[in-house]
Amino acid sequence: MTEHVTEKDVRDIAEYCRIGLADSEIPQMTADLNAIIDELAPITEYDLTGVEPTFHPIGDLSNVMREDVEGQSFTQEEALSNAPAQQDGSFLIPSILGGGEA
Amino acid sequence: MEFGTMDIAAIRSGLAAKEFSAREVAEQSLARIDAVDGTVNAFLEVTPEAALAKADEVDAAIAAGAFDELGPLAGVPVAFKDNMNLAGTHTTCASHMLENYVSPYTATCVQRAIDAGALPLGKLNMDEFAFGSTTESSAFGTTKNPWDTSRVPGGSSGGSAAAVAAGMATVTLGSDTGGSIRQPGSFCGVVAVKPTYGVVSRYGVVAFGSSLDQVGPFARSVRDAALALNAISGRDERDCTSQDVTIDFTRGLDAGVAGMKIGIVPEFMDAAGLTSEVKYAIEGAAEKLREMGAEIVEVELPHVRAAISAYYVIAPCEAFSNLSRFDSVRYGFCDPSHKSLAGQYEASRAKGFGPEARRRIMLGSYLLSAGVYDKYYYPAQQVRTLITQDYERAYETVDCILAPVAPQTAFAFGQISDPATMYATDLYTISINIAGNGGMSVPVGLGEDSQMPVGAQLIAPAFHDMNMLRVAAALEEAYGTARVAPDFADVKAGA
Amino acid sequence: MKKIEEVLKDWEPVIGLEVHCELTKLETKMFCGCKLEFGAAPNTHTCPVCLGLPGALPVPNKAAIESIVLAGLATNCDIEKHTMFYRKGYMYPDMAKNFQTTQGPKAFCMRGHLDLDVDEKNINERYGVAELAPGETFENVTRTEDGYTAKVGITRIHMEEDAGKMIHVGGAEGRIEGATHSLVDYNRAGTPLIELVTEPDLRSPEEARLFMEKLRQIFLALNISDCSMEEGSIRADGNISLRRRGTDQLGTKTELKNINSFKSLHDGLLYEICRQAEVLEEGGVIYQETRHWDASKKRTIVMRTKETADDYRMFPDPDLAPYDLSDEFIERVRAKLPELPDQKVKRFQETWSLSAYDARHLVEHRVTANFFEACMETADAKLAKPLANLIINDLAAMANDGLDLSASPLSPARAVELVGLLASDAISSKQGKQVLAAVLDEDKDPAQIVEEKGMKQVSDTGALEAVIDKVLADNPDKVAAYKGGKTGLLGFFVGQCMKATRGQGNPKLINQMLAQKLNG
Repeated sequence: MTEHVTEKDVRDIAEYCRIGLADSEIPQMTADLNAIIDELAPITEYDLTGVEPTFHPIGDLSNVMREDVEGQSFTQEEALSNAPAQQDGSFLIPSILGGGEA
Repeated sequence: MEFGTMDIAAIRSGLAAKEFSAREVAEQSLARIDAVDGTVNAFLEVTPEAALAKADEVDAAIAAGAFDELGPLAGVPVAFKDNMNLAGTHTTCASHMLENYVSPYTATCVQRAIDAGALPLGKLNMDEFAFGSTTESSAFGTTKNPWDTSRVPGGSSGGSAAAVAAGMATVTLGSDTGGSIRQPGSFCGVVAVKPTYGVVSRYGVVAFGSSLDQVGPFARSVRDAALALNAISGRDERDCTSQDVTIDFTRGLDAGVAGMKIGIVPEFMDAAGLTSEVKYAIEGAAEKLREMGAEIVEVELPHVRAAISAYYVIAPCEAFSNLSRFDSVRYGFCDPSHKSLAGQYEASRAKGFGPEARRRIMLGSYLLSAGVYDKYYYPAQQVRTLITQDYERAYETVDCILAPVAPQTAFAFGQISDPATMYATDLYTISINIAGNGGMSVPVGLGEDSQMPVGAQLIAPAFHDMNMLRVAAALEEAYGTARVAPDFADVKAGA
Repeated sequence: MKKIEEVLKDWEPVIGLEVHCELTKLETKMFCGCKLEFGAAPNTHTCPVCLGLPGALPVPNKAAIESIVLAGLATNCDIEKHTMFYRKGYMYPDMAKNFQTTQGPKAFCMRGHLDLDVDEKNINERYGVAELAPGETFENVTRTEDGYTAKVGITRIHMEEDAGKMIHVGGAEGRIEGATHSLVDYNRAGTPLIELVTEPDLRSPEEARLFMEKLRQIFLALNISDCSMEEGSIRADGNISLRRRGTDQLGTKTELKNINSFKSLHDGLLYEICRQAEVLEEGGVIYQETRHWDASKKRTIVMRTKETADDYRMFPDPDLAPYDLSDEFIERVRAKLPELPDQKVKRFQETWSLSAYDARHLVEHRVTANFFEACMETADAKLAKPLANLIINDLAAMANDGLDLSASPLSPARAVELVGLLASDAISSKQGKQVLAAVLDEDKDPAQIVEEKGMKQVSDTGALEAVIDKVLADNPDKVAAYKGGKTGLLGFFVGQCMKATRGQGNPKLINQMLAQKLNG
């Protein structure tokens, strides 16, 4: 199995994704990712020169837009109905710049 | 009355003849779920009020003499995979992340089913966020295969398949990104249809692989699946990728296959890992089709191996992006007592997501990163072009392709433990999602060795889903309509 | 820190701008039908799409696409027919989906430019221009009679969506530093936003300020946004680096954010130039960092920001159809282009023989341009220049102080009348200012005011001669002193004559006649 990602890489990726992996979880995640990435090798082996990418599976999908007309919106209550924390009609979150975290 | 075993036509004619009421259908279906779902665990949430309220609405229309104006699913008990928003219900995607999330809106496909008269029974179990093919990764327990409760129902739409196979619903809706409708359909011996990408709106269905996901029906007959498709298909202003499909999927179902050319892909049939019982069943199906007047032709899909790799690049990348929104701010699991947002993000996402979800997010994030994007993601989209062309070329010769759905029949719980092997079981289904074509599973008997259901996969050219429905109907003629799993066929609700 | 003129001898500032403009003239958001409304109660204009609920899907606003194409056409851009939306991923609480839907390498509008007209009085902020003769060019500059023009490249204009708004609680002045909590409101999330990026062609803070002014004029003329910096519907970030004059290599740039007026942009950039020069001259290093302009302390300070990521994991958005704009679509939009500021300036010059300076300053604000044109509907062509002066020198300043030119007692007809009185020497320029003030105060016609206040200027040479003769006769010693060389005493004589005429003597004539009598 090739080492496509190191444990340090995995820590960096976890930080980017904001997933708090415990130290003990890093080795297994690293091994899992490397095994999966190995399976992707066939992609890198093809000669794809001159092949246009297809980003959208329906070939002639284009220019789909809507008119600038008001639709239905939530009430404030509906918007906040699943909020884990709220205050004064807004979603409440702890300190963004943070520090003071154990 | 065993509504759980009836098909749509029977329910409809019974209602029209006033042999029973929609309310009775609803009550009995709910009682059956009560009796049986303790064993199967297909439902994550049952919605008795909604089912009864809709039933009363249908009955009122019948009483007012307006039966003919009712939609194609009038009085039909239907349930929905738990990644589909239905206002007022929990939409959990079988994840702790959304354990307490209550939908403030309804998915288009669900609304259309209900507008067509369907009685909404509840929400169905699945693999967490649709990542998986056994429903084992659900945070709320596994679903059992009604044909053998020590075996998996398949996934990710395991609950959707099992509910139909156990006679708890007549039609269910599931979603398919790499085989998640077809494979559980095959494992549970029911008809399962993933139409061409764009036929059914994705609005309100929690996204996994946005360029791959499609919604489709499970049913015990091809006709019922076609009726369900009629109800839910067609252009939706809220989904840019939905297409203006207005055909009646029931028309031409009985046309038979005489004169049709049906392809067989040697690469599929000779693949390592394909069990002999499945291979034998597919070959048997081919033989039956020949007997009915079809010509079986070999077709090549030269880039199908690459398409499999392309799937494992595109799907996690889109999943990573689609799951970024779960951050404890507007909804979803929030780990308490954090003084910093970073701490809250990290803990909520680590605890809210199960292991497979975390893996896919990490993988997707890695594959999209600078420097890696050009190595995998961009080539994967180039491969998409090639496999699309492969299928188009094949369809110059044939009208439909016959293939296995999965290498084996339903296996025991816990049998597949590592991700890479799990991925290998998707090989027959995922290239279809990459190309955007329609694919479906229709039961073709039981495997000789396992005595578990085998589904034959039929793949159709883009926006020619009728081709596969027609062939499926012919196979249904030959093999008999799908039945409720034996252990559940005699269960009487409320007995 | 050194003064800017000193700094510019050794250092060349290289400035680029990133401008975000909300399309506030539209009814709804970029990807959903929620209403655009500034100042509404929090989270009252949201839906599954702009809240980023699971399962929601975006659908682009056609009017927004038309608006960005219009903006591109008005700024000399090429309109790209084939573009896509991309997802730009980063986790931040004001991003409902934790990715922003924006564009990738190809934007709707590419490779445009604006030509700036810089006034003579600001010429020293750009090194090396003052010495040129009119018509001479260097770099992107052409010297003119009254300043210079500079051509500033626009790299691209792309379509994206705005984020929600956050209020920080617990820190000083509502700042993010020291905040214990934040409140998030998604009303603004999903607002159609166009981002315009310039080439690093700007070389002075004044050029940067002028670029913003011009862009704002254009966008207002296009009626796509109300372009209010106070409300945040137009925002500018500046990138600035220094390099030793005469060298090619670009220095490290800092990003200047938190600009809430065009003046702040100018002042912030000016400060940064001097600050960076000081650091570099002391042998220090410029760090690529984000700095905020603190208008009260008049300096830039480093901002810690968690908003940016090094790598945004961008990829084409699978939920949105690619664009394949037809020629017909583009031409339909082009047909909606109104007269643009540059075209109007040219028209004013040609129609009324105004100088470039006058035309530019009239056109700078729609309200002054409209006022002028309204005046010229009835005014004689020779009054164009005096009217322009009145508007530019007097009325523009009043408009800045809150006078609403479109609805004040000074109607275009009255302005024409006032200027007519001045042009015919019926009143002096000093009296003219008094009449103007009185028109605004008393809401009367100028002629009526002149009549009522008995202000008619005395220009009768016979009467004036009598006054002059008396003044000279009354001050023989001063006359002698003047003839002996103290020519400054002319002012004294003029003053005495004005006093004798109770301020109504024609000062020009008095000056002339006095000079004749004293020198002759």
